[in-house]
Amino acid sequence: MKLTIDANLCRGHGRCYNLAEDLLEDDDDGFVTARGQTIDVPADQVEDATNAAGSCPEGAITLLEVERVS
Amino acid sequence: MTDLAAERVATKPPGVPTGCPVIHLDASPPLEAGSHWQLANELRETSPAFFNTHAQGYWVFTRYDEVREMYQHPEIFSSESITPWEPEPAYRFVPTQIDPPDHAKYRQLISKWFAPNAVNRVSPQAHEIGQRLVAELAHRGGCDFVTDFAMRLPTEIFLTIIGVPNSDADLFVPWVEDFFAGFGGDLEQQQAMGAALGGIRQYWVAVLEARRDEPLLDNDFVSLLMHSTIDDEPLGDDLILDILTVLVLAGLDTTRGQLGYLFRHLAENPDDRRKLVARPELIPSAVEESLRLYTIVFGDGRKVAQDTEFHGCPLRKGDMVYGLVSGANRDPRVYDQPDKFIVERKSNNHLGFAGGPHRCLGAHLARMIMQVAVEEWLRVIPEFSVAGGEPLMERGGGAMMTLLTLPLTWEVEA
Repeated sequence: MKLTIDANLCRGHGRCYNLAEDLLEDDDDGFVTARGQTIDVPADQVEDATNAAGSCPEGAITLLEVERVS
Repeated sequence: MTDLAAERVATKPPGVPTGCPVIHLDASPPLEAGSHWQLANELRETSPAFFNTHAQGYWVFTRYDEVREMYQHPEIFSSESITPWEPEPAYRFVPTQIDPPDHAKYRQLISKWFAPNAVNRVSPQAHEIGQRLVAELAHRGGCDFVTDFAMRLPTEIFLTIIGVPNSDADLFVPWVEDFFAGFGGDLEQQQAMGAALGGIRQYWVAVLEARRDEPLLDNDFVSLLMHSTIDDEPLGDDLILDILTVLVLAGLDTTRGQLGYLFRHLAENPDDRRKLVARPELIPSAVEESLRLYTIVFGDGRKVAQDTEFHGCPLRKGDMVYGLVSGANRDPRVYDQPDKFIVERKSNNHLGFAGGPHRCLGAHLARMIMQVAVEEWLRVIPEFSVAGGEPLMERGGGAMMTLLTLPLTWEVEA
């Protein structure tokens, strides 16, 4: 699975890096450092990534090649 | 149409299309606690859009997708006014009422101070404040949670993060109370509201004077603003005072409101409360769920900046719109069991902190304060309930909703 974060939609709510703290981290302005990037999601973090994507109030996070968990 | 909404059907003004029901709804009077969410549910399930003939008249959008779309398109939905019943407000909140592209300049300056890294810096002091306030109350066996704790805690933590004495909460608590008594539309309270604004502004004037000619001080937000520039120009006293005032008004009463509803839930739902006592790692998730289910923002206003067709409604430049945030956060099109408090809820993408460029600047601080409140309270007072049989009342949705009182009671060991 891959996860991509739309830099134009991301507003720094901080839900993603709090819910997937082993996968994502924040910068000094409170934005996720992977803003505007596509990153690999290890198998053991698919659940956290799914929750993070679903919890973004802007809908800025998209999961790719998803076998939907839960 | 169901009860609460049906009483409010009104005559259709010209220009309002068929398929957009017309209501007359003034949400400002206090109601029994929970009534505003019930009303929001009924409006949302009746229609995605209404025209409300309250004040000069404004459009109302009730569902999650529409409210989010409104937030994400500031080029159409301007923040020049955020109160739909007052399209030409006398005040100017910075950066709340500044539109892009200027908005980002102000926002960038302030947001670093309220980012998680900065908020975490004051977390130890926040816990100390929480511990002290709980200790002062614990032996009493009861309190009015809204006044005695929920207002005091965010005020003291806010003053700490700004870098002024937290004991000045004694000044700020009554100012904030007086301001919001008038802000929701109560005309009898306008004088007290004006006096409170004056008091808040004078406080910050004195803080500015004390820092005049001083070098940049560490961990001091006012000093930072005084040494900052926008477009190579210093901010100037007036703008700094505007910013500080809006932070006070946006940050303290709101957190108090959310805490009241969360603690009422914990008082009335021992299973959820005991779950958090046993598993404190669930507290952040419970806080998030309370922000969704018990949204204090009944709705949020914007001013239409260009003629546009929006979900079947012909919006004209200058029209006001109202996004029913409390309807969006319980939208069954988005949430399973939308009216149920689920401590471990996943994919909780609520709009309690708004969305788009004006997403609540203080969201990270508010979350931290709420988490501190629950953690420190439950550690000392794990068992408590709502006292008395009187129905609880909530302030109307003209400003932010809050319980007017929340009498709590608990056993005190001899």
